[in-house]
Amino acid sequence: MIDTADTTGPKAPAPASRGPAMDRRSLTRLSVIAVLLLLALFALPPLMTAYYTDTMTQVAIYSIVTLGLGLLVGRVGLYSLGQLAVLTIGAWVGARLLFATSQPYILVLIEAGLVTMIIGSLITLPALRLRGLYLALITLMLAGGVSVIEATLNFPNGGGGFSGYNGSLLHIPQIRRPSFAGTDPAFYRFSVIVAIVMFLLVFAHLRTRPGRAWAAIKQSEPSALAAGINTTFYKLWAMALAAFVTGVAGALLAGADRELFSIDFPIQNSIELLAVVLMGGAFALTGAVIAAFLQSFLPALLQIWGVPNDWLIILFGVGVMQVLATAPGGIADQFPKDMKRLYRLISRLWTRPPAVTAGSPSAASATGQAGKGGGAA
Amino acid sequence: MPSWAEFQPYIVTGLALGGLYALSGVGLVVLYRATGVLNLAFGAVGAMGAFIAYSIIKAGNPGWVGWITCILFAGVVTLGYGMLFGPALAGRGPLVQSISTLGLALVLFGAIDLAWPTSGGQSPSISFPTDNGGFTVGQLQVTWTQVIALGLGIVITVGTGAFLRYSKLGTAMRAMANDRVITATLGVPIRRVEAAAWLGCGLLSGIAGIMLADLSALDDTTLVFTVVISSLAAALIGRLRSISVTFVAALVIGLVHDLITPITQLTNYQDMTPFVLATIALLVMSRGQVMTRSREEG
Repeated sequence: MIDTADTTGPKAPAPASRGPAMDRRSLTRLSVIAVLLLLALFALPPLMTAYYTDTMTQVAIYSIVTLGLGLLVGRVGLYSLGQLAVLTIGAWVGARLLFATSQPYILVLIEAGLVTMIIGSLITLPALRLRGLYLALITLMLAGGVSVIEATLNFPNGGGGFSGYNGSLLHIPQIRRPSFAGTDPAFYRFSVIVAIVMFLLVFAHLRTRPGRAWAAIKQSEPSALAAGINTTFYKLWAMALAAFVTGVAGALLAGADRELFSIDFPIQNSIELLAVVLMGGAFALTGAVIAAFLQSFLPALLQIWGVPNDWLIILFGVGVMQVLATAPGGIADQFPKDMKRLYRLISRLWTRPPAVTAGSPSAASATGQAGKGGGAA
Repeated sequence: MPSWAEFQPYIVTGLALGGLYALSGVGLVVLYRATGVLNLAFGAVGAMGAFIAYSIIKAGNPGWVGWITCILFAGVVTLGYGMLFGPALAGRGPLVQSISTLGLALVLFGAIDLAWPTSGGQSPSISFPTDNGGFTVGQLQVTWTQVIALGLGIVITVGTGAFLRYSKLGTAMRAMANDRVITATLGVPIRRVEAAAWLGCGLLSGIAGIMLADLSALDDTTLVFTVVISSLAAALIGRLRSISVTFVAALVIGLVHDLITPITQLTNYQDMTPFVLATIALLVMSRGQVMTRSREEG
């Protein structure tokens, strides 16, 4: 069962929509996305308080992180638990470069992405020879290892030397921002634009040769190998691409937070990150945005409401189990389906007596999902 | 480089820690072989049990009530999870099944933080009466708790080995590790065998949780993650297959971890021990390509 196509969401009709006559559905989708982006870029900033501007900046940055992890999990089938470690590497490199040099910010973003890509590839290269579960475990240990190093090395705070950390600094200078995005709203816009570029980068990969290779690898590695695909090379490519975008996100995070502390990246966040990606939906690019909202927007809301953050961790835990057991497509896949089902149910209420059809729609969809679940695994 | 005398006390603590990692590693391997699930919530279940034991003891009950509650709690929760999600995720492959246990780990982690907030007041701790008694070897002070920890590791490893080899249930587990479908066809009640494996793994996580709370610290991050990572590393070195290799690897991890302590340049990095050792082991082993082809093909 080749099921990647139906779970890719807006990008599903691959060859058909290529021609000049773009079909109406993808055109509608494209315009909806464009309008939402324009709203996010221009309408939102004046409306938001400083608190929400901060939060939405985090959402934009973390959407890049979840994009990278979603790419690995959903497109290639590599479950990485070390993506937060990759983010902190990017943040560290970005902060170090921003303190040490006066290069333009955008150049630093790219450099941080490249350095993270190299480090990430070097670390995962040996692990890539392993498959599935073993890769997940080694990345979990990697996350543990990197968090130990971070705790010892600390994030740069304007000191000298390689680490750039000086524990006895009284006045800690802030990490600089680009001249055109010094204020919070401007930096928010900047983050959104960087996120868009990263999404386009990944999208371009998905629509071309590597995307097809990844889809083949995800379906079955032996048959991908038999079809002449260099599986290790393409898996490494996916890892490198994910590490690159995550590294860029890290450098962006350095500018957004302006002060970085290793205690802000506890190891449970690595697991939370995978949890939100699975809940948001790893098979669709929209899932990455939903995941970023779960990761960064919900905690901010809970803080306002005075609910302890622990409830969110519990929710994520339940969500992961539920998603894996019943809805492998996550919210991005499930929400439209549920809405359709709701719409059908409501429309049926108008036409027929409800008692006749009460049981059938849910039963039918349940079996459909079970079949799909098997395929997506 | 510190002198030999400075290393000596860490041999004892390292072996005690290694014994508990061995016990945990064996629990993980047995469950994995029998059900195909790597229980990543192992540490979280034990941690929650230990916190419950702490509250029970703090309320004035005798110590053994707390310890037994901890072990039973861990067993029941793990069994409950296995009964609920084992069938639901069966056939989805070890990867998805194992990632799902991370969900349980998150739930328990959040619940621990909620019920026993870390900020303020006296930090919780567990202590056994055996902490104070002990004996000396040369100039080394060894407590009975440390002896028990290492002893439990040995007993559980040997006991599990014998159980798998000689008992009927153990044979059934080994058969399921080989081929689930054929085992079911032969009339083995695989659900019941799986339940037994889940329960066993849970009880072991409870034991590991309460012992580590005493030997190490009653701290949720340590218990949830460090323990899992260390015993996972041991289990990985044993290729998720051999409990004797797991046992040795666990002792080595515990020893190396603690022996690094006196070396000031490396002290901060000692928690990387399991990661480094497991990576080296995986690299060496992946040459044979044995690991990549285990159960995951089926």
